[in-house]
Amino acid sequence: MIESAVQATHLSKSFGAKQVIDDLSFQVAPGDVIGVLGKNGAGKTTLLELMLGFTPPSGGGVQIFGHPSVALPGDVKVRVGFVPQQDELLEQLSVADQLRVIASFYPQWDSGLIQRLCNEWGVDPRARIRNMSVGERQKLSILLAFGHKPDLLVLDEPVASLDPIARRQFLEQLVDASAGGDRAIIFSSHIVSDIERLANRIWILKGGRLDWQGDLDSLKESIVRLHVRGDAGAIASVAVPGALSLRREGNFATVMVRDWTPERQRELEARASLSIDVEALGLEEIFLELHR
Amino acid sequence: MFILNPHSGVPIYRQILDQARRLVASGQLAPGAELPSVRELALKHAVNPMTISKAYSLLEAEGLLERNRGRPMTVASQARGASPLTKRLQQIQPLVEQTVLAAKQLEVSETELVKSVRKNWENGND
Amino acid sequence: MKTVLRLVYTYFMGTAVTRGLTLSGVALCLLALLAVTYLPQTAHVLAFAFSSQLAFFLGSASMPLMFGRMAKGRGVGLLPHGRLKLLASAFLTVVIVALPAGLLAPVVYAAGNSFKLSDALKYPGAVDFLLGMAILIYTSLTLLAGWLYLAMWFLGSQRNASGLWRSLVIVVLLIFVPVREIQELSGKIEWNLVQLALTWMVFGAAFMAWPRIKAAMAQRGGWNRSTRKVVATRDTWGREVALILGTHNPWLLVGSLALPLLMATRVGLQTPEIWLFFLTIFSVVTGAFAGQAAARSRALWLRRGWSRAELFAEVERSFWRHNGIVSGLLLAFMVAIGSFTHLPGELLAGGLPLLVLGTALSTYLGFMITRGLRWIEIALASGVMLTLMAVSLLLSQELVKLGLVFAIEAVLLALVFVLRTVARRRWSRIDWIECRPPRTLVARQA
Repeated sequence: MIESAVQATHLSKSFGAKQVIDDLSFQVAPGDVIGVLGKNGAGKTTLLELMLGFTPPSGGGVQIFGHPSVALPGDVKVRVGFVPQQDELLEQLSVADQLRVIASFYPQWDSGLIQRLCNEWGVDPRARIRNMSVGERQKLSILLAFGHKPDLLVLDEPVASLDPIARRQFLEQLVDASAGGDRAIIFSSHIVSDIERLANRIWILKGGRLDWQGDLDSLKESIVRLHVRGDAGAIASVAVPGALSLRREGNFATVMVRDWTPERQRELEARASLSIDVEALGLEEIFLELHR
Repeated sequence: MFILNPHSGVPIYRQILDQARRLVASGQLAPGAELPSVRELALKHAVNPMTISKAYSLLEAEGLLERNRGRPMTVASQARGASPLTKRLQQIQPLVEQTVLAAKQLEVSETELVKSVRKNWENGND
Repeated sequence: MKTVLRLVYTYFMGTAVTRGLTLSGVALCLLALLAVTYLPQTAHVLAFAFSSQLAFFLGSASMPLMFGRMAKGRGVGLLPHGRLKLLASAFLTVVIVALPAGLLAPVVYAAGNSFKLSDALKYPGAVDFLLGMAILIYTSLTLLAGWLYLAMWFLGSQRNASGLWRSLVIVVLLIFVPVREIQELSGKIEWNLVQLALTWMVFGAAFMAWPRIKAAMAQRGGWNRSTRKVVATRDTWGREVALILGTHNPWLLVGSLALPLLMATRVGLQTPEIWLFFLTIFSVVTGAFAGQAAARSRALWLRRGWSRAELFAEVERSFWRHNGIVSGLLLAFMVAIGSFTHLPGELLAGGLPLLVLGTALSTYLGFMITRGLRWIEIALASGVMLTLMAVSLLLSQELVKLGLVFAIEAVLLALVFVLRTVARRRWSRIDWIECRPPRTLVARQA
């Protein structure tokens, strides 16, 4: 039986009267790369920190490799890597010293890998953390999570301050990490294009709930933009069940639909004398439409 | 080998499927030709390896590719020959759809379109 | 001018906490004035006066932090005369904050010498004298306040031991002279005014010129090129946990406290104010230090297989190892000095446990800060500090009531265990999202 990396059942979290996470249930299997999308304030950081036990759930529960998040034993914690949104670097240390400090917690630390990445990513081991730029600090934070080759990697906005070159290097490293198929990666980002490349599953957090939870491929096939043409009368009366938005202009209508299938197209075309052209959308467009 | 656009509305695996089928049908990928490994392709395009893997598995199920233990995937030997007309038509289906759509939008009639296609066909044969 | 006034108003009344403190300071001042009419005993008036000034000062405590944050920000450089106005607001705060002491000094003097103020005012010589004393006290305290703010600014903007060291040195080097002068009324008004003028001119000039200085240094690359070698292994003794918690180097704190000790021997350890300041500074520093524990321990959650309860035990151990060394050395030093200067045995017998209790209480109070600083922690901290000060006052009287002192200390010891239990319970349920991050107060991004 393949043990799931993360399993949540009816997970909820509220701070006082404010409900930030509302009844989430999900499962993350090894090999999944999950991209978490959501507006600012949607609860992404809270969700990730809930999963790892930094904050106890208000309702329901979440398990990491079969253990409850608030009571993770040591042998589970060494299999987890986390890049927090706010780095936890020690200002007075040099990069090399910081790496050494963190490495001491993990017996399986791969210093060869870290050295190679330091060279490739241009991280100077002698630099003092106090004097580093935000981008360099972020690269270091990422390295600190990679060194012990975790089975579950959770990253909260890991590339917000990186330039496109650094981001591509980071992506390549994640691709390499996930190529084996036995590692689970969960990352939240505003940079939708990165998620689009890397994730095979998407979670869209909206108002504390998972508005979408499924394959990226299915998402792209299911949420589409329809360009409908017909005579004015048919257009005026066109109604698509489950439409997210509808705009009419004379003989044309533009409809955003979710859960689209080819059957629905045939059905709709048959019912009214309409001709429908389906436009598939990129992830950013889909995200924007879902939040309109 | 493949031109992938992760930001298009077409899922990456679908792009690989379409392009692979076209390459084999056109002979650019001969039977026995080796395809890049999942990892190699994923790293090159900076995309999720599972999506490459999914495409390869589907192509294998179709009979287009065959898996070799310890070696990269290769084009199946009977891939080209056994491709019936329907399958080959399937390859150009998206292009046909696009052309028809464009024609409709520009209010070019069906007859005009067929005329244009014929002209192109004859010019290509020169 | 309006901006400056608005800034000063915000310093004193900006948050609920500071507003409460400021207003209670004012209230206590009025009470002191009333007390002298109806209760001619010294102790009450002095207590009111002291707590009034303390409360008022604490009410303005947000000034150095706000000042520091605004000075660092880019906005102030863009506003017309931004830096000048900021500087003016700081100066105005310093001028205002010492007012209770200045106003109450003659009152306390009158009560202490058992005469009525209204009687004294009939004699012109007395008026001159009292006025002179009031101005003396006022200017001395203005100086003192200025240095304390500076120390707080440094403390607030540094997050490592070297900054702590720097600020403590400044505090120590400069507060004892005015303290001594206040206590012995031996200062001169002119000297105070000269000091005030000098320090503010230097500070003002440096502050206004700072952006230009920084730019010049950046060009030379001097600032960024760090030639000090950091050998983490030597500093940490191999204890990475301590490094993450910040408890890896007790020697810095020891060093910075040894200096005030040396100065205190010059002034004389009998004077209660010395003990008061020691307790206050050390307790506050220890408490503030331990107050970071909850936030810093976040970095240990995923690194070690400890449960939250085990984490508390480890953190406690780490902090005690740190504070224990500091406390132990301090105590040893005090005993040595005490026997060398023939301090009364009762003073040491009562004072040394007080130091340890002060450390213990503030450490556990610091541990209790798991959800940011709230009313209950502030109230407890103030109560504890006032009690410690009261005990130190008791100790410095002619006839030391050792029995009473020991009784109070026993109660304080019990309180240590109570606070520990509370801290432990809070840590077993600690929620790191509600724990403010140690570095900057950043708006929470979900």
